[in-house]
Amino acid sequence: MDIERRQLAWEVVRLRYWQHLVNEGLKEGKIPKVPVHVAIGNEAIAVAICNMMQPEDELALSHRNMAYNLARRGEFGPVYREYLMEPTGVAGGKLASMNLTQPELGIVYSSSILGNNVPVACGLALGKQTLDEPGIVIALMGDGSIEEGSFYEGLVFAKTHGLRLLMIIENNDHSMSSTVAQRRCPISVGDMCAAVEVPFRQMRGNNVWKYLDNVQDARRTVHEGGPMCIEVFVEALTNHSGPTPFGPSDPKNLSLDNGLIVEQSPNDPVYVVEQSIPTSAMAEMTDRVFAEKSVEETP
Amino acid sequence: MSNYISAVNEAIMREIAQVPHAIVYGESIDNGSMMSGLSRNITVQDGGRVINIGNCEETHCGVGFGLMLKGVPAVLIAKQLDFLLLGVEQMVSTYSNIRSHRDVSTLGSFTIITVICDQGYQGPQSSFNGLGDICSMAKVPGYMLTNSQDTTRVVQSQLNRPGFRFICLSQRLYPTEFLELDLVQAAEDCSVFQYYEGDDTTIVCFNLSLPEGLTLHKKIVDNGRSAALFSANYVFPQDWQLIRDSVTHTRKLVMIDDSKSVNLLGHRMMSTLSEQCPPFQSVTVTREDDIDFRVGPDDLQVDYEDVIARLGV
Repeated sequence: MDIERRQLAWEVVRLRYWQHLVNEGLKEGKIPKVPVHVAIGNEAIAVAICNMMQPEDELALSHRNMAYNLARRGEFGPVYREYLMEPTGVAGGKLASMNLTQPELGIVYSSSILGNNVPVACGLALGKQTLDEPGIVIALMGDGSIEEGSFYEGLVFAKTHGLRLLMIIENNDHSMSSTVAQRRCPISVGDMCAAVEVPFRQMRGNNVWKYLDNVQDARRTVHEGGPMCIEVFVEALTNHSGPTPFGPSDPKNLSLDNGLIVEQSPNDPVYVVEQSIPTSAMAEMTDRVFAEKSVEETP
Repeated sequence: MSNYISAVNEAIMREIAQVPHAIVYGESIDNGSMMSGLSRNITVQDGGRVINIGNCEETHCGVGFGLMLKGVPAVLIAKQLDFLLLGVEQMVSTYSNIRSHRDVSTLGSFTIITVICDQGYQGPQSSFNGLGDICSMAKVPGYMLTNSQDTTRVVQSQLNRPGFRFICLSQRLYPTEFLELDLVQAAEDCSVFQYYEGDDTTIVCFNLSLPEGLTLHKKIVDNGRSAALFSANYVFPQDWQLIRDSVTHTRKLVMIDDSKSVNLLGHRMMSTLSEQCPPFQSVTVTREDDIDFRVGPDDLQVDYEDVIARLGV
């Protein structure tokens, strides 16, 4: 296994472990005040995007930004302490979770309001264009955000002005606790994009290596030709926010005691990694993350 | 003597032309009537842009904040304040988000220049005239342009200042002669302007009620008395010192506000002054609670003789 392939696998595994740690903290009531949205199941796309990003790129996230903040940071403690509102958190304890940014790492904006980050991302991209700066802007959203008018407005605005904007829709079939079928008619994002001549692609399967190839290709498209939209299908392996399970009646029974993998299927990015690399490599990575210091000991 | 819209347009365009890399954008700002003259003759420096945009008010507002984060000066020219209600979410939530962790003085400027429909002929849907309501939600500064003094000072000192603010025009003043007033004094942050000194009463105008304040002032002077006349903008935190000094001297206060809001900054001012000044007599001139939203002139009804009689001036 080459170094790059191994590194991506490691980042997915490590990110899963860190999110498990946050979930365990939520279950134990160690994050009592701040609403936190764990994104177990989103590791493949998060790692792919974070590895695609060049130093000049900028990321505008949603409230479910944990995977990206952890993956970009590459360490657990400062992000976790931010959820505890401690001064040693990555934002000095001022932002906590849903609005967490790390401008020094390219995460310049995060919004807790669905669709809100699309217009802001358009402004960031317009600013890049005006200042003749290189790089692209990536706006991350969920399947709930595409119900908002700002998503359509952003498509039109970005296309009209040729903005270097990559829109990533993490479709986990949920907005809070409602599935798409429970709340609305289906939306063909491809047709919406086609209506305004914005390139569109779908990704599924949680293969981080293929995802990276795809988003690198998308980045080239955006850099050379203007906006593009990718809908990536992810599984909501955790609850909307707070701990999973939220109580004894919750069928989602996540526990780090059961190992890193939550679902033995391609819905789970860590399962996909396990199926794609040598058994010994996976065992070594698993041992390595579990050997990390505890939350309390993490610097 | 130029009319209001021509003079305000000239002042704004003169300032925009001096801002490096300014992005000036808005719907129909570079064609047709140029927004009835508001956006006529836009000139930007090299590296700046004038962008005609479509109908997407939330995006208009969000784009301004994105540009601000990039350090780019952004000026959004919007036809009417009520159109911008579609972008309130950005003005409130996004600006609060940005201010929570970024030093605004290091960011770009985002200024929305828009017109308040302070006449009622455009129909009930355009009857929203309370800039203070929007400003209050996220403590965003808002400034009114009513005459030569406030126009010059607000445009020069605020339009390219880092951070976010509104600069608003009065629609009913569009065709009128531009008011050339003498200035007694003004707060450095443009929160308060004083146009007349006086010993017998203090008049403070909010929103777009300066014309009514000027009429009341003239009637008081015609009666052989004098009145101090102020207009106040929406700047937070508000420093009432200039007005406090006047009320302490005159012991009489008239607060005039033509907005349709029930949450008036003038009420807050009176509450503050009642704690900080010696006892004073006050009269408030505001809208009736049962506002008529039908098409009509929509003027603030002021019984000037009654106000003067109640004050004993």
